[in-house]
Amino acid sequence: MWTRLRHFGRAVVHRQTVTREVDVEVRFHIEMETEKYIREGMLPDAARKRASRIFGPMDKHHADIRDAHGITWADDFWQDIKYGARTLVKHKGYAVLAVLTLGLGIGANTAIFSVINGVLLKPLPYDHADRLVLVQQSAPLSGQATVGVAIAEYFDYRAQAEVFDGLVEYHQMNFDLINRGEPDRVNTGVVSANFFDLLGIRPLIGRSFVASDDQHGSEPVLLLSHTYWRTKFGGDPNIVGQVFEMNDRPHRVIGVLPNVPHYPQENDVYMPVLSCPFRAAAERTIPQNRRAFAALSVFGRLKPGVTSEGAASAVATINQRFTADHAGVYRTATSGFQATTIDVQQALTAGARDLLLILLGITGLVLLIACANVANLTLARMLGRDRELAVRAAIGAGRARLVRQLLTESALLSLAGGAVGLVFAVATVGMLTTFVGRFTQRTGEVSIDLPVLVFTLGVSLVTGILFGILPALGTRVDLVLALKQGSNQAGSGSTRRRVQGALIVAQVAVSVVLLVGAGLLVTSFYRLQRVETGYRADGVLSAQIYGNFSRYGNVSALRRLYFPILERLEGQPGVISAAITNAVPLAGSAPGTTRFDIEGRVTDDPDRRPAADVRVASPKYFDTIGIPVAGGRVFSDLDSEETQPVVVINRSMARYWDGSDPVGSKISLDRGQRWLTVVGIVGDVRQFGLAQETVAQIYLPLAQSPTNIAGQVLVRTYGPPEGFAQLLRDTVHAVDPNQPVEAVQTMDDLRAEALAAPRLTATLLAVFAGLALLVTLAGIGGVIATSVTQRTREFGLRMALGASRSTVMGMVLAQGLTLVAIGLAVGIAGAVAGGRVLSVYLYQTAPADPLVIAAVVAAFLLSATIACLGPARRATTVDPLVALRAD
Amino acid sequence: MSTTHAKPLDLLQGTLDLLILKTLALGPLHGWGISQRIQQMSASVLRVNQGSLYPALHRLEAAGWIDAEWGSTEANRQAKFYTLTRSGQKRLRAETDEWERMTVAVTRVLQTQS
Repeated sequence: MWTRLRHFGRAVVHRQTVTREVDVEVRFHIEMETEKYIREGMLPDAARKRASRIFGPMDKHHADIRDAHGITWADDFWQDIKYGARTLVKHKGYAVLAVLTLGLGIGANTAIFSVINGVLLKPLPYDHADRLVLVQQSAPLSGQATVGVAIAEYFDYRAQAEVFDGLVEYHQMNFDLINRGEPDRVNTGVVSANFFDLLGIRPLIGRSFVASDDQHGSEPVLLLSHTYWRTKFGGDPNIVGQVFEMNDRPHRVIGVLPNVPHYPQENDVYMPVLSCPFRAAAERTIPQNRRAFAALSVFGRLKPGVTSEGAASAVATINQRFTADHAGVYRTATSGFQATTIDVQQALTAGARDLLLILLGITGLVLLIACANVANLTLARMLGRDRELAVRAAIGAGRARLVRQLLTESALLSLAGGAVGLVFAVATVGMLTTFVGRFTQRTGEVSIDLPVLVFTLGVSLVTGILFGILPALGTRVDLVLALKQGSNQAGSGSTRRRVQGALIVAQVAVSVVLLVGAGLLVTSFYRLQRVETGYRADGVLSAQIYGNFSRYGNVSALRRLYFPILERLEGQPGVISAAITNAVPLAGSAPGTTRFDIEGRVTDDPDRRPAADVRVASPKYFDTIGIPVAGGRVFSDLDSEETQPVVVINRSMARYWDGSDPVGSKISLDRGQRWLTVVGIVGDVRQFGLAQETVAQIYLPLAQSPTNIAGQVLVRTYGPPEGFAQLLRDTVHAVDPNQPVEAVQTMDDLRAEALAAPRLTATLLAVFAGLALLVTLAGIGGVIATSVTQRTREFGLRMALGASRSTVMGMVLAQGLTLVAIGLAVGIAGAVAGGRVLSVYLYQTAPADPLVIAAVVAAFLLSATIACLGPARRATTVDPLVALRAD
Repeated sequence: MSTTHAKPLDLLQGTLDLLILKTLALGPLHGWGISQRIQQMSASVLRVNQGSLYPALHRLEAAGWIDAEWGSTEANRQAKFYTLTRSGQKRLRAETDEWERMTVAVTRVLQTQS
């Protein structure tokens, strides 16, 4: 085998040498033969002639020897490539257009695929990642898709489930890490001691948590994330053993994690569960409160051989057992409280999967259009090549050989397109990754790697065959006809025209689907952008000032932090007003559902009690953020712990009073222990998302709030609020130098952030649809232009017989627009059928919005007319005499 | 591999290969010498088709059964000399056995009295 290959390689690579050697060898043979004949008595000339004749023609001999080496095929292939490249260079315009069209199509697919590969296809970088499952609790009857796991529930699952190799808990906290006097707010992962062992993550330096770290009385320890260690400590190798202050206790660093993606969330540091004061305090209250600290994520690794279904049913059984034991807590009949397991990988990417698949479908369609377009270009070019192909067939090229030649050309084009596409993909994948990062955290592993390159190569080749096969199969060369006639009327013109027409219809149809999709998303985005948020975002700066619980353990301590900050802020020049709340609109919080009673309408049926979202606000909150007052009054500095407890409600909440004025009536949030007087009504606010309908909301005054809050400060300023960031920090530090100020951003930023994902989705689809439209229009124009060229004689004749210019022009336009009309009909049917996949991404826009469809139809007809006008005008300039004399 | 001469040559091909290998078993030889020696050894009954000789040699070389090297003849002229390789010797034995079984069988069929 090896010898064979070596000879094959030599024969291919050193063709010239081999040929020369054969020549020498044969000449020697003929000379010897000649001498033999001379010895036998022949005259030298006759002898030489005879020897040559017996040997046979040299060319055939060379060919036979090449066959013996098996290189004819490779020769032909090489010849095809050379010939193809030459042809393409000769037709630069065609080649460049085809390569660019294909490059865009292949590039878009490559970029999307690299994201799909990194997000959906690559296994998670953990041990036995395919066996990791998340325990998922939900209460569907109460409308809660996910319910966090409480400590006691986790203990039950851990103790009773035998399907797991290990079951760990996780929750995230924000703590102050005091590092040599500098406070730093860190995202802290609070985890079971075997958390990293379960994921198979071994520390880069130092050690991981062990069971003894998680026992009462053990020294508090920390693990640092790779990123935090690099950015905050410059990758200091002596970090292990250093002690930082956290929650007023010394914590010793025991190790640094390797650079791996975190699950379920990125964190700066990790601590064992007992170090978290909140969780520890909550654990002590379990006897009174079964659902204490219902904020855990719980996941585990299945034992080998356990199926996902087995795990789900084991978890469901345990859930049923404890809900039955504590029926009063869970009220399964009305809440539907239940548990199951879901695949961790699936859970991580669930938010992005549909979107990515839609995008892949869209780029697939764009590529199809590109294919159809290049096929059409090729077909048009074939018209001019009929003669060339006929000549080649006449001098002995078989049909298979011609088809192969054409396919080699298209493969060359598509591979060049693939190369262009790769450049395109490399340039855009970063932007795409950021975009997808809004839907899944798993984007850290997106890269243009080997599988992506293989994908690109595969797509390029398939593309080449796809658009090459159609024109190639059309090469039923009728030798006589093609050689006899001029190129203009050659061959199977009508079949070809039909194929071209069908390609145009398909392109139009697919473009319409994309355009309608893009139109829907753009319309939806436009409506979303114009949503009345209910507040004035401009000119307001916001920041988180989460009082550290160890210093501000209760709400009155917090007030001693917050009120002085507000007072100082309002004294600053340029500050119009300042306020504290516990949740800025559009900052990513979810609505709470606190049950309340209205005085005089108290019901004992726990599930018929009205529910509302409860917020806390300082007196100037409504002024600062620009929420209009609809009735009564808002809070004032006079509302205090000593005065009558009051609330302000929003308009949605006021509906509970069925038209009568709520101001003056009383509500209770604690089953009648304290009655709060409604003093005012304010406008509704899009608190939880621009597309989220407002819910009933109750505002409590900061001065009377019974519970701790995670405070956010808002400052309305004269002039751009960005300029006040430092002033804000300084003011807070003047009150408490150790108080971190986080997430400083303007309300406009928050709103832009809320719009970013839909904006990008709409932009992306609009760009793709625009590309599709351009490519399709170019295709229509091209096809009509070739058709006009073909029909020169016909138009000439018609005009000689008296047809007016406008008649001829009308004929050409009609030809183009008929194809477009058929394509539009097919495309609209497709768009109406396929629009539903977009419905989740649409805001107040129906998947078959008639306005959008009408706009697309109008735009398409208009632009197609323009594309056909050029060729149509050319048809009218045909000089009848010249046309009739042609050929 | 090649379909261009799927005609009578194919029938002869096996025989030609066998004869070339046998000739080379007696010692290295150039192409013309091979054709002469086959003619001599067969007492001029067999005549090598000169057009198929060199393709056959190249084929055998590509298969690794013979080696080729440039050298000088007695008359001091450049010629390509072919040698039987180790795998060529094995091949020769196998083909010889096969040929003998074939001729015995064919002869037996032809001698059957009808």
